[in-house]
Amino acid sequence: MAEIELRGVTKRWGAVTAVEPTDLRIDDGEFVAILGPSGCGKSTTLFMLAGIYAPTDGEIRFDGAVVNDVEARDRNVGIVFQSYALYPHMNARDNILFPLRFKPVSREEAGRKVEAIATLVQVHELLARKPSEMSGGQQQRVALARALIKEPQLLLLDEPLSNLDASLRLTMRGEIRRLQRELRVTTILVTHDQIEATTMADRIICMSKGRIEQIGTADVLYHQPDSLFVAGFIGSPPINLLAGIAAGRNLRVGEATLSLERSVDGKATLGVRPEALRLGERGVAGEIDDLEPHGRETIYHLRTPLGPLRALEPGEAARFRIGDTVKVDLGRALLFDEAGRRIADARPALAA
Amino acid sequence: MNPALAEPVPVRGVDDWALLAARARSRRRMREILLYAFMALGALPILIPYLWLVTVAFSGRTGASTFVLWRTLAVLLPALFLWSLLRLTLRPGRVLTAIEIALGVFTVALIALLSGPYLHLDNWRFLWNSNIADTIKGASGMGVKYPSVWTAFGNSLLLAGTQMLIVVSVATLAGYYLSRFDFRGRTGYLKGLLVLQAFPAMTLIIPIFLMLYWIGLLDTLAGVILVVAALELPFAIFVMKGFFDAVPWDIEMSAMTDGASRRQAFRLIVLPQVKGGMLAIAVFAFLRGWEEYVFVTTLLLSKSNWTMSLYLFWMRDDMMGTDYAMVSAMGVFYVLPSVVLYTFMQKYLTQMTLGGIKG
Repeated sequence: MAEIELRGVTKRWGAVTAVEPTDLRIDDGEFVAILGPSGCGKSTTLFMLAGIYAPTDGEIRFDGAVVNDVEARDRNVGIVFQSYALYPHMNARDNILFPLRFKPVSREEAGRKVEAIATLVQVHELLARKPSEMSGGQQQRVALARALIKEPQLLLLDEPLSNLDASLRLTMRGEIRRLQRELRVTTILVTHDQIEATTMADRIICMSKGRIEQIGTADVLYHQPDSLFVAGFIGSPPINLLAGIAAGRNLRVGEATLSLERSVDGKATLGVRPEALRLGERGVAGEIDDLEPHGRETIYHLRTPLGPLRALEPGEAARFRIGDTVKVDLGRALLFDEAGRRIADARPALAA
Repeated sequence: MNPALAEPVPVRGVDDWALLAARARSRRRMREILLYAFMALGALPILIPYLWLVTVAFSGRTGASTFVLWRTLAVLLPALFLWSLLRLTLRPGRVLTAIEIALGVFTVALIALLSGPYLHLDNWRFLWNSNIADTIKGASGMGVKYPSVWTAFGNSLLLAGTQMLIVVSVATLAGYYLSRFDFRGRTGYLKGLLVLQAFPAMTLIIPIFLMLYWIGLLDTLAGVILVVAALELPFAIFVMKGFFDAVPWDIEMSAMTDGASRRQAFRLIVLPQVKGGMLAIAVFAFLRGWEEYVFVTTLLLSKSNWTMSLYLFWMRDDMMGTDYAMVSAMGVFYVLPSVVLYTFMQKYLTQMTLGGIKG
């Protein structure tokens, strides 16, 4: 287990910069998720930590020591790949044993360790099977066992759940979290799935275009996104984003005018979470264009003077029908400046 | 209104459907019969010469008689025809298997009865006679000394085997490097491999002869081995590259984070994945060496270096009054290793196209 630190770590492939200079600290025993769309540099960061790619610039430190030039095999890092990367010609037992081949471990001790780890990840009855004879979930458990058997100081998970079906994903999510808590191993999960990141990790690092956009808990990222990117990337159904123009304490969005608590000038973007919208007696008039019943909630597509809005209301039955006219109140709204940074104290609200 | 819609659609009765189904069935059956008949006819000109070779090897006396061949075919062809009919009419099951076995036994017995009396092993005397020239019937082979067929067999084995080892090890390492590493001129190299494949090796025969002469490898097996291996390599490298391309990067990276060095990852993890490709190119390289004729006849001069192909050639060519029956036996002896190899390695040889296409 180790404390991980990145100082100005950069990765360039020729003229393309995959990871911009990045600073990051991960505490001993912490579970961190790197979240971002594909191509944002999250896997590259992971492979640099593993020692598969060498950073172009900057320092990677494990417990304070620079490990840039330490080879992958000497870093004692466990990885679970998206494809699981099990060795096809070996059965599960040999797969799990593989990392111990390169360590001074006696045969008896290795056998004991395999038994222990197989019990931990519940693949005990599969040890004689080849990867091709296992389901995706079983392969993943074996891959976890293989990554954990060498007692790594850092566990890296590269999109470990994306090849599983929905229900299995749910089980494995809890499973991985339980293992991490039991073993207290510093863990970094790379994912493009916000639910995976928010449900599993202590902290989330949101990346875009090779740069860290924001680091924080799921709550902070959801309610106080630093940037338009984070606001748009996190949340499902996604946040409503409407372009507007601010002048002093007024914000013009579509045909409506909103009031601000602080003067802002220039182009701005209004962001409202679908569940923050209130449908009922107050606010601007809107017409319901379409609705999606989801069982425990309903999503309404509204046409309002502000522009098209998506609203989410909990409740088993829809309160309105297509074509109804309702009043829409904004509730808690966010404001972003022209560069996409959030203006924290503007508090946009519908003018009375 | 569309006039076509106004037309009353003819209503089909149940009988009509049955009729259509029957017609479809018989059409399918007909197509099957024609297909098999076509394939059988196409196979005959290939199979009959081999059958002839075998019958002559075991029954011929000096000449290449067709006597036993016709007798065998007279039994075999009707039997095969009958078997095809059986397969087309009866459903697979215990009854069919029983009839098939009976037919097989009957055919073999009939062949034994008709051709059996004419079979003998005299044509195989080259296997135990050290100087075959003395035993040629009615030939003036006096004073000519020929090496034992086993010398030629050993030479061929050495040529094919060593050449195979060189091709497999070089192609495996080169294929891995081409698949995994980027280096200046990689694309050009790959194109070069394909272009090399396009030129007939025959055009190089004079320069190769001169080169071997200058190096001092003319009339040595080592020289031929190097030449044949070099000519076989471009194709083998290309095939191996295709196999390595199909091995995911992930497992190699995983092995390296698990504590393996790059070389260990290659040996323990990547190599087992391309075993099929290695076996396939090994078989092809071996057969290529085994059947090699052009280069051995040009580059090997002394009798002690004869390979099987040369031995066969001189047996047919050099004696007054060629004993075609013995030459046939030698031919059978010569193709035997190829047949055995093909039979056991078929599985890997068919894999090769799969791996090769991905290149």
